[in-house]
Amino acid sequence: MTSIMVVDDDQDLAEMLGIVLTGAGYEVDLVNRGDEVMPLFTSQNPDLVLLDVMLPGLNGVEVCKLIREVSMVPIVMLSAKGDKQDIVAGLEAGADDYMVKPFDPLELVARMKVRLRRSVVEVNSELCIGSLKIDQIEHSIIRDGQVIALTRLEFDLLVALAKEPGRVFTREALLSEVWGYRPATDTRLVNVHIQRLRSKIEVNPEDPKIIVTVRGVGYKAGVPGNSQ
Amino acid sequence: MKSPLKAWRSTLVVRITGTIVALSIILIWLLGSALYSRVSSGIFDEKQKLSILDAQSTARNTQIQLNFSKYQDKAALALVFDDILAIPPKTFESTAKEIVVFSFENIDNKFKFDGASNLLDPKSVPADFREITRQSTGTESARTNLIYLDGTIEPAIVVGTDLLISGVGKYEFYVIFSLSQQEKTMNLIFNYLLLAGVVLTLLIGTTTYFLMRRLIAPIQDAARVAEELTKGNLDLRMDFQGEDEIASLGYSFNEMAVSLQQQISRLENLSKLQQRFVSDVSHELRTPLTTIRMASQVIYATRDSFEPTVARSAELLISQIERFESLLTDLLEVSRFDAQAAVMEIEETDLVALVKETIDYVHPSQDRIVNLQAPISPVMADVDPRRIKRIIRNLISNALDHRENQKIDVRIVESENEVSIGVRDYGTGFNYTDRKMLFERFWRADSSRARSTGGTGLGLSISLEDAKLHQGEIDVWGERGKGAHFVLTIPKFAGGSIESRPLSAQLQ
Repeated sequence: MTSIMVVDDDQDLAEMLGIVLTGAGYEVDLVNRGDEVMPLFTSQNPDLVLLDVMLPGLNGVEVCKLIREVSMVPIVMLSAKGDKQDIVAGLEAGADDYMVKPFDPLELVARMKVRLRRSVVEVNSELCIGSLKIDQIEHSIIRDGQVIALTRLEFDLLVALAKEPGRVFTREALLSEVWGYRPATDTRLVNVHIQRLRSKIEVNPEDPKIIVTVRGVGYKAGVPGNSQ
Repeated sequence: MKSPLKAWRSTLVVRITGTIVALSIILIWLLGSALYSRVSSGIFDEKQKLSILDAQSTARNTQIQLNFSKYQDKAALALVFDDILAIPPKTFESTAKEIVVFSFENIDNKFKFDGASNLLDPKSVPADFREITRQSTGTESARTNLIYLDGTIEPAIVVGTDLLISGVGKYEFYVIFSLSQQEKTMNLIFNYLLLAGVVLTLLIGTTTYFLMRRLIAPIQDAARVAEELTKGNLDLRMDFQGEDEIASLGYSFNEMAVSLQQQISRLENLSKLQQRFVSDVSHELRTPLTTIRMASQVIYATRDSFEPTVARSAELLISQIERFESLLTDLLEVSRFDAQAAVMEIEETDLVALVKETIDYVHPSQDRIVNLQAPISPVMADVDPRRIKRIIRNLISNALDHRENQKIDVRIVESENEVSIGVRDYGTGFNYTDRKMLFERFWRADSSRARSTGGTGLGLSISLEDAKLHQGEIDVWGERGKGAHFVLTIPKFAGGSIESRPLSAQLQ
């Protein structure tokens, strides 16, 4: 059974989330304090974390960084502030997605499903992007014989680009492809994650060769063998 | 540099200095000319008196000389007169004195004698003065000029009388005294007076100028400080010293500035506090609202198992929570505008595509209630797409709410630097006089009318703020029963401003 960790200091909201998610068929662990997350996380090893930004003990952005140090688990931030800075801070700390309160529970569940699903394994299971090999079965990226750890979202983003090497993806197209249902203007999600991904896989993130920016349009996959 | 006329109009210093200089020139001129004429008449009157005395004694001596002479013929007479006329010519120092003699008309031809001393032109004695002298029995005097045959002319005074040679007849006898010495003195006095006048005028002018400058400086300072205060530079104060009236102006002025600053900062704090409060309230409301929303959704999902009234209550709950939520979102947006914390995210955007998308979003149904007229080619503009979309959405929702089953026209018209998006409905409309009120928060055209739609009452107000962020405007036309027309006009390029309106709200 898929287990979800819900971290929110508002006990009623946490309980309500518990009810909704249990109803959707998930197993739910509730945590009310930021500093209580890590001990429970290591023992429970949940499949997804719903993380509020404002938490007692340790704030959500810090918690997010700690989780990323040990795990690539999907993280969805819950924010009461719709302001750009908070959202960007959460995404830069490693969150995959975010929801602004008050959110639609159906939308939340839909987004969680996207984050939880496994990428479709195709017959042609070895994809290339730039000089990187993508092993879809093992869910890993290999550069110069070294395995690079990616979050599931980052992996999905890379696969989406690599599947259609010639295509230029608009940010909106990447949003619907990788994040699922999304208001079309919310493109900063894409921007932040492309930056994170580049910092992991590019030899020189300042001069990206694997994920190439097409000015005024969006992104496309780099030409194989042209990453150095 | 300012033109002199402009300087005259705009600076008090120049104006007052100019006036005072003009007045002193007039006064000095009057005083100077009075002085000059007094001195001049003093000098000339004295000279005239002396001249008359001198002439009289000369005439007496000449008469005596004539009485003792013998005149057989003209030659003998001429000899006597030549002797009389042979006076030394003037030297550089001495005052010239010349003598002219004319014989009377009735004198026997052989004794006629007209002559003048020292190359003097006898015309130096004016004809009318000769007439007066001939008529007179005593001594006459008048002003004239010494005219020499070599061309030199000098101012002079002429004294005339007559001589009698018994047995021969009368001769006119004129003694002419040069006034050149007196002229010179008067010229000298005139020059001194002129110099004194000029120096005095300059002195008065510069003194006034600098005094006025001193006096005006604090006023100019006050004006400059007031201007800076107006610009929002509230820390600036006037400099002043001493305890005179000017210092008291400075003191009062600074007092005013301090009080102004305190008031403004108090109001600023209040308004910041209030904005902060609204923002905090909105944020704090979000968490419980999320819980309520989820709870209502859970209840709503199982409404089929409820009794009809409870099921309907669940539906109402859901719809009202949605309304509450949009109200909260709008309130938060308004508080951002009030705090001037709204941030633009400019992107080059095709407004035709954006409007099409928005129409589909607001009114997804297939029947064409919303009729779009737009250029076939994209209309590109530097805008914050989220905000422009929100404006269009608000305008179209508004039109849909009031359309009364009529169609809605949406038009996009562009010019070189501007683009207009018009939304026209043919429904209820509003009183044209209310057009300014439309953009006020929570304003309703008819307060008695039931709220049938989910509008928050903040939509148009937010739209106007969004338009202003783009340096744009929303033009409005409306008439009760005939519908309404809202036209958003924005510059195409970031940082531009509206110079023309491609589409006017009035053009209906």
